[in-house]
Amino acid sequence: MIKLISIVKFISLFVLLLILGGCWDQKETEEQAYVIAIGLDKAEESENLVKVTYLISNPEAGTAAVGGGSSSEPPREIISFEAEDFVTSRNLANTVIAKQITYDILQIIVVSEDFARDDDFVRWIYDATKSMEIRRDSKLLITKEDTLTFLEINQPKLETRPHEYFKMLFARGKETAMLPVSDLNTFFRITEADADLFLGIYGTTEKSEKQHGKEPDQVIAGEFHYEGETNPTEFAGAAVFKEGKMIDVITIEDTRLAFLLNPTMNGVDILASFPDPFDENYHISTRVNKISDIKIKMDLKKEQPEINVTLPVSIDLLSNHSMTEYQLNEQNKEKLKKSFEDTLEKLFKDFVKKTQEEYKTEPFGWSLIARKKFLTIPEWEDFDWMKTYPDMKVNITVNVELGSFGRQGGLPSLEEVRD
Amino acid sequence: MLRKRFKKLLEDSPPPEDKKSSIKDIKVKEAIIDPNLDKTLEIFQSIYSYPNNQDVKIRKMNISGLRKNGAILYIDTITNPMVIEEHIISPLLTNEDKTKEISEIVTAQSITPKIVINEALIEINKGNVALFIEGESRVYLIGASQFEARSVEKPENENVVKGPKEAFIEKAATNISLIRKKIKNENLVVESLVISERSNNNLFLVYEKDLVNNKILQNVKNRLDSLNVDAIQNLSLLEQQIEERKYSIFPTILYTERPDRAASFIEDGHIVLLMDNSPDSLVLPATFWSFYHNSEDHYLRFPYGNFTRLLRFLALFITLFTSSLYVAVVTFHSEMVPPDLLLAIAATREKVPFPAAFEVLVMELAFELIREAGLRVPSPIGPTIGIVGALILGQAAVQANIVSPIVVIVVALGGLSSFAIGDISMNFAIRISRFLLLVSASFFGLYGITAFFTAGMFYLVSIKSFGVPYLSPMTPTYVSSGDTVFRRILKNEIFRPGYLKPKDMEKR
Repeated sequence: MIKLISIVKFISLFVLLLILGGCWDQKETEEQAYVIAIGLDKAEESENLVKVTYLISNPEAGTAAVGGGSSSEPPREIISFEAEDFVTSRNLANTVIAKQITYDILQIIVVSEDFARDDDFVRWIYDATKSMEIRRDSKLLITKEDTLTFLEINQPKLETRPHEYFKMLFARGKETAMLPVSDLNTFFRITEADADLFLGIYGTTEKSEKQHGKEPDQVIAGEFHYEGETNPTEFAGAAVFKEGKMIDVITIEDTRLAFLLNPTMNGVDILASFPDPFDENYHISTRVNKISDIKIKMDLKKEQPEINVTLPVSIDLLSNHSMTEYQLNEQNKEKLKKSFEDTLEKLFKDFVKKTQEEYKTEPFGWSLIARKKFLTIPEWEDFDWMKTYPDMKVNITVNVELGSFGRQGGLPSLEEVRD
Repeated sequence: MLRKRFKKLLEDSPPPEDKKSSIKDIKVKEAIIDPNLDKTLEIFQSIYSYPNNQDVKIRKMNISGLRKNGAILYIDTITNPMVIEEHIISPLLTNEDKTKEISEIVTAQSITPKIVINEALIEINKGNVALFIEGESRVYLIGASQFEARSVEKPENENVVKGPKEAFIEKAATNISLIRKKIKNENLVVESLVISERSNNNLFLVYEKDLVNNKILQNVKNRLDSLNVDAIQNLSLLEQQIEERKYSIFPTILYTERPDRAASFIEDGHIVLLMDNSPDSLVLPATFWSFYHNSEDHYLRFPYGNFTRLLRFLALFITLFTSSLYVAVVTFHSEMVPPDLLLAIAATREKVPFPAAFEVLVMELAFELIREAGLRVPSPIGPTIGIVGALILGQAAVQANIVSPIVVIVVALGGLSSFAIGDISMNFAIRISRFLLLVSASFFGLYGITAFFTAGMFYLVSIKSFGVPYLSPMTPTYVSSGDTVFRRILKNEIFRPGYLKPKDMEKR
């Protein structure tokens, strides 16, 4: 009998442990609505409100459902409303949406340009640090129009699930260096360090007027013109943030330059064209690669601080419209190399000048290196990178190493062909 | 407090029962053989309930040379008629020489005189022939036993592709011979012990006397001596009698049907137990690793052997964790799953009526049911189980939206992997732990899994098998051949396991 009692006591103790201790934050997957993107806009009337837009992914879209029931449901659901912030908005959304709103697989935070340029933007975006679920590697995307329009018009044709589209687009953009990395963590880090510029991904669904005379890579989102049956959304260039506030938009070309000068970023598939030194009518298409780490030497103790940057790149030739002989001609090679170096250095110089004069600080992450030159943080703060950078002397040297000249190195001499 | 409660649970043993044999019977059996032949036969007849007991045979005869009456008594079904005919009866009847002793007349293999009735009974029950001579107060016991047994066959459970393919059979003498075939050494000792009181089951302790640690040997013998039961039919039952922790889910004595495996354990300084009626052997002490290993690991070349070890190691963890991780991640930590996978899981679960934990539990139970049913089903209808199981669980359940396809994958993967652990006891231990892990995962998520696994590791470290820590030589560390998760090349396996404290440490 005593044995029985103790057994019963044991079992009830164990069951109590499970009942009292277990299952607290349990939530079945199918009971949640997965937000892929949060859009943030200025509220129309009140300053204390923000317009929140949710892009919710439908798990059932595109699956071959076994056992009856067609999956003709749309792949996404979009809802937009005004709320106090995008944390409490989760409950408000439940007035319309049946499932619990979760940010578990949130991929991007979309902010309209209008809102990003607002002084108060920082206040709202910092809510993201409070929420447990929002990951720091979520991307920050800035749109030209309001986010609801952007998300509604953006309908990828080939990727059924919205997160897939964004994920692949951003990954590819990073490889080609046409889109900055732009994750939430970098944004917070740069804003808090108060020294560099942050580059955010810039996208739009609105086409702007075609501007003639621009080279193909000197465009920002909306300026790239294309035809055909596809998604009207385009992502190009970068939104420049200074002190947590958007100040400008830079072109694809400038984004790439920033990529090349930034020791923390690495594009691997940068295709670019350069003027042909042998025939000014033509351009040479190339693939540019950083060979090794960029070398940055700083002398900050001088009256006029000086930064010397050496950038080793390799350039592969992908086209040769002037049909110049390079393979066996060292002189031509030398000339080509020199021309590349000059072109690049001029581009860099112009861009650095622009950052010094227009933005007063740089998007290259150089302040991280400069920090190491100071013993204490107060010393570094006294130095005030943002104040000193515009007057610094920045020398950029590019060391070009010619890579391959294509699968077939030599081309026939044009005269002989035409003969 | 918990400890006290546990103790109370364990110590509450039933009161001892009275011995059933009457005192008179015991007295008769302890007496000395009477020189009067008729009287002696009468006693034996009453002990064996003579003519009622069909297979007990008594043949009286006149031993011509000695001019004395005699009688032989034997149990027909367990003796060899040829031996009785040619080596006992015929020489006794045809002998003319008056000077010859009995042991000189009988030409059988062995002949031993006994004085006490009890001792004679044991031998007769073993299939020996008792020879009574008029006027002699002793009985001659002549070896003529022959028990029915099958021949040596292939192992059923511990299959190998490369290596010997003999297995133990139900006859201990054959089994010993199989071991002697592998260890031709005079130091190999086969000790015999009677371990039960009523059925007089015989047990053989096999060890190498110049290797085995005396303390461990003594420990084993003590434990065998202290057994106080009427009958222990075979080693599977003996294992449960002599193990330390009878409620533990982890086995502490290795059970193998391969003589080569038993022999290699003997060569390492272990003790092997053999018994009639057991087509297997018990190896003790045993560590966790001996259950995880397989004899083929060493028969295969180093890279191949370790590859199978790696697979088995993975299978072990897959079996333990797949279903519980699935439940934990899906119900508690959905943010851990990559978006594509999470959406796929959410999509398949959309129409399933049960919570994920329940769904997995049901499928796991179904899998175990198929397994158990498949084992017990008569072989002609065996394939049916496979078809029904695969169809009902794999296809129909998914199509009817009772379970999601991902759960079928998870359960099937875990179930399949569980077969990679060959030892049946360890297999059960892992399968039961899997259910416990599943329960803790469905209540506490990853925290539950971690807590349970940690507690399990604590427990594993605390177990001992005949004084040897369960996870040795890894934890605690001992000098050994380093044969734990992976094995070394044979040249580098120099030492015998240090946890056994063998008399000779080096293998060369």
